[in-house]
Amino acid sequence: MRWSFILNIIGMLIIFLGICMIFPLFFGLYFKDQSIIPLAQSMGITIGSGLSLVLCFRRTKVEHISHREGIAIVAIGWTAIGFFGAFPFYLGAEFNTFVDAFFESVSGFTTTGSSILTNIEAVSKGLLFWRSFIQWLGGMGIIVLSVAILPFLGVGGMQLYKAEVPSPVPDKLKPRIRDTATVLWKVYALISLAQVLLLMIGGMNLYDALCHAFTTMPTGGFSTRNASIAHFDSVYFDTVIIIFMLMAGINFSLHYQFLRGKPLAFWRDSECRFFLGSVLILIFIVTLNIYGTVYETMGQAFRYGAFQVVSIVTTTGYATADYELWPAMSQLILLLCMFLGASAGSTGGGMKCLRVMLALKFCYKELFSLIHPRAVRHIKIGGVSVHEDVVRSVLGFMGLYVGLFAFSSVLIASMGVDLVTSVASVAATIGNIGPGLGMVGPTDNFAHIPYLGKWVLIWCMLLGRLEIYTVIILFVPEFWRK
Amino acid sequence: MKVIIVGAGEVGFHIASHLARENKNVVVIDKDPAAIRRVSDNIDVQVVIGSGSSPVILKEAGIKEAEILVAVTDSDDTNLGACMVSDLISPATKKLCRIRYADYDEYHEAFREHAPHIDTIINPEIEVVKKIFRLMSVPGAVEVGDFADGRLVFIGIYIDESAKLSGVRLSDIYAKTGKQSPLIAAVVRDEELIIPRGKHRLKAGDLIYFISEKEKLIESLSLFDKNVEPIGRVMIVGGGSIGFRLASLLEENSISTKIIEKNPDRCAELAEKLNKAVVLHGDGSDQELLREENIQDMDVVVTLTNDEETNILTSLLAKRMGASKIITKVSKFSYIPLISMIGLEQVVSPRLSAINTILQHIRVGKVLAAKSIIDEQAEVMEAVALETSDIVGKPIREISIPKGALVTGIMRQDTIIIPTGESVIEPNDRIIIFAKKQAIPEVEKILAVKLEFF
Repeated sequence: MRWSFILNIIGMLIIFLGICMIFPLFFGLYFKDQSIIPLAQSMGITIGSGLSLVLCFRRTKVEHISHREGIAIVAIGWTAIGFFGAFPFYLGAEFNTFVDAFFESVSGFTTTGSSILTNIEAVSKGLLFWRSFIQWLGGMGIIVLSVAILPFLGVGGMQLYKAEVPSPVPDKLKPRIRDTATVLWKVYALISLAQVLLLMIGGMNLYDALCHAFTTMPTGGFSTRNASIAHFDSVYFDTVIIIFMLMAGINFSLHYQFLRGKPLAFWRDSECRFFLGSVLILIFIVTLNIYGTVYETMGQAFRYGAFQVVSIVTTTGYATADYELWPAMSQLILLLCMFLGASAGSTGGGMKCLRVMLALKFCYKELFSLIHPRAVRHIKIGGVSVHEDVVRSVLGFMGLYVGLFAFSSVLIASMGVDLVTSVASVAATIGNIGPGLGMVGPTDNFAHIPYLGKWVLIWCMLLGRLEIYTVIILFVPEFWRK
Repeated sequence: MKVIIVGAGEVGFHIASHLARENKNVVVIDKDPAAIRRVSDNIDVQVVIGSGSSPVILKEAGIKEAEILVAVTDSDDTNLGACMVSDLISPATKKLCRIRYADYDEYHEAFREHAPHIDTIINPEIEVVKKIFRLMSVPGAVEVGDFADGRLVFIGIYIDESAKLSGVRLSDIYAKTGKQSPLIAAVVRDEELIIPRGKHRLKAGDLIYFISEKEKLIESLSLFDKNVEPIGRVMIVGGGSIGFRLASLLEENSISTKIIEKNPDRCAELAEKLNKAVVLHGDGSDQELLREENIQDMDVVVTLTNDEETNILTSLLAKRMGASKIITKVSKFSYIPLISMIGLEQVVSPRLSAINTILQHIRVGKVLAAKSIIDEQAEVMEAVALETSDIVGKPIREISIPKGALVTGIMRQDTIIIPTGESVIEPNDRIIIFAKKQAIPEVEKILAVKLEFF
């Protein structure tokens, strides 16, 4: 581990983050609100800290980043980015303690969308833009973006990419990692732009359209309104947002293939079929369940049921209805959706459909071999056998995911939080969804979680975003041995 | 530029990493998932798991956009199959193919002109035999490369303790010896590569690389106290296909040859095919046998068995027993830097030869030959100066030659110019450029045709 090298790269990332603060500053200046000074100060602090790291730790010529160094850069880099991203919130005096600001910032970068704020509309426009913008940066991965933009990362970009965009079966769209990163960001930006235009056609102003597109595409879920999407109360907006949430939940390499002129790409991909199929079935069940009990008409039940299922399963976390008033079955389905998550290679969180599919197929294979003890059977996805190592790592991942979920919710409960809230707050943060159930439901916020509990949830959000291994490995003593 | 490499073995791996370092788009195909994982974990390239001769896999790898296909699996059949299929799907792709089986030797031309239209057939064994022969003919050389149709040679030698030039500044060589020194392109000292200037001093233990005209080679070598002695007796340890090819070549040149082979059946086969060479049945590491066959009187001992460790140990044994010159075949790349440390200076590697041949065909611009040296730290290229490239028509000092690169020779029709800052490169001159690996992409740029010309 070459620490000076690692800190140098992290310094570069921090400078990059500082430069990104210029965008909310534009909005602050345009609206002439009180966010100008805190944003300018944060920008100074961030760029200054980054510069001093870069200057203190001169980069020696490096041709290769080891696997371990890649993990360290990404895990520590993300923590540092969350830390510096919190300064505008803290200095903007919207938060009482630094940990609150840190929570909000990490919730942003990890595209979780859990908020501390009680009255969002009272916050200045510049800061709210920053709040949305960091979700957009974090969605496709801020390190992937820097791999695409900053040439010096080219050499070891691959290790960083693998640590930030973990996927059970990695696919590289282009021979070179830099080109892959660039292509992904271009697709991401293009779809976001399309959403901005569609929202503006529906009558949203540019500012709100940008803020909402920046939190839909990364499946983030921060809104500029207290009532989230329910504020607009428009079937058009609901529909547009449902479509873009679904798009964000699909593997981006399929979008790329689609744009390259392969319209059947979505249909040919078995994970995509599984994802869209499960979404349809879940919408159907929830709609039936809330029709008559909560909503008078089928149309209403479908509108709110569909929005909420898509919002939770893609791990976005917008709300158009208070689903805590729904029957227990629908609530439970939504809670389980938090574990399912979106597709691998999308911006969504959760365990990811591909892993769930593999695990289901693995279970079936076990049952099958009980019936036919001498059968030779491979686990296949889309007609291609999956290597045993991959299956093993997926099962390991799911074991860790559930284990960490259990461990963290016990920790939260030990601080005196009630059962539903403990379970839901951890499920909502480790899956990067946002709102949970109980005291952290769609109409509530996370402000009342005890001080230490917030640290636990911050940790859960990072675990979820970097898909467990990259973060948890830092806690394994073997990692630090020479 | 997109390059598809079929085969992720040692050769495929090294070509891939070489090209990825130069920011080329590389796709590697192999059917072994473990080999593919080694590639994708270490090199920034795209990987495809599957058989390289399958049209589906080749299409998936993007054969239609690929400029070059390099087929270097262990199996000649797969390599030929890959070339055949890509010839059907994408005839414009240039095909380089490794073929090792000797029975194909006569058909190389046919493969080029007929069906698979393979642009270059690489037979590492033939290349290695050529290299051994060149190394034999130049005393003390650890590296020999031919350029300009063999009229220029690129030589690497060590400066001995006793050499009269050790400790002399490059600019003082003429004053000291009264002879014009050849242009020294690079010095390797303490494993670091330097491009020397006039004020640099040569030191004992330096490995120097220089370019010399073939006719003046003997003179240039004597400057560094390396004197040419005719080769009379050669002993080959290991009668595999390289050993056999070498023995036949030596026979043609009337050099007395002994060849030691362990396997009695192979010995019988060799004895049948060879006329003058003495075929000995025995183990190359058997001291008694070596002494009996007068190893101390041999001019050259070449160890060519299929076992790396046996080659190295036999070479050390031969050296201790007094053989004057030893050439060792080593295939594992990780061993090559160690070999000179244990006192074996002359090494040949079939894989490295294959890589060199492939590289020269991958270079853009009109590159006629390219040779990777010093553990791939640098490359020597021979190229045609195109009329529209940046290097033509002005004195060399005014060309923005990339840092770490050096023009070491210019050939105009039949004259050879060792360039100075004032020399002017004219269109269609053939130039020899030495470049460190960091400078290679830049060098390719200045050699290439300027875009606005079209």
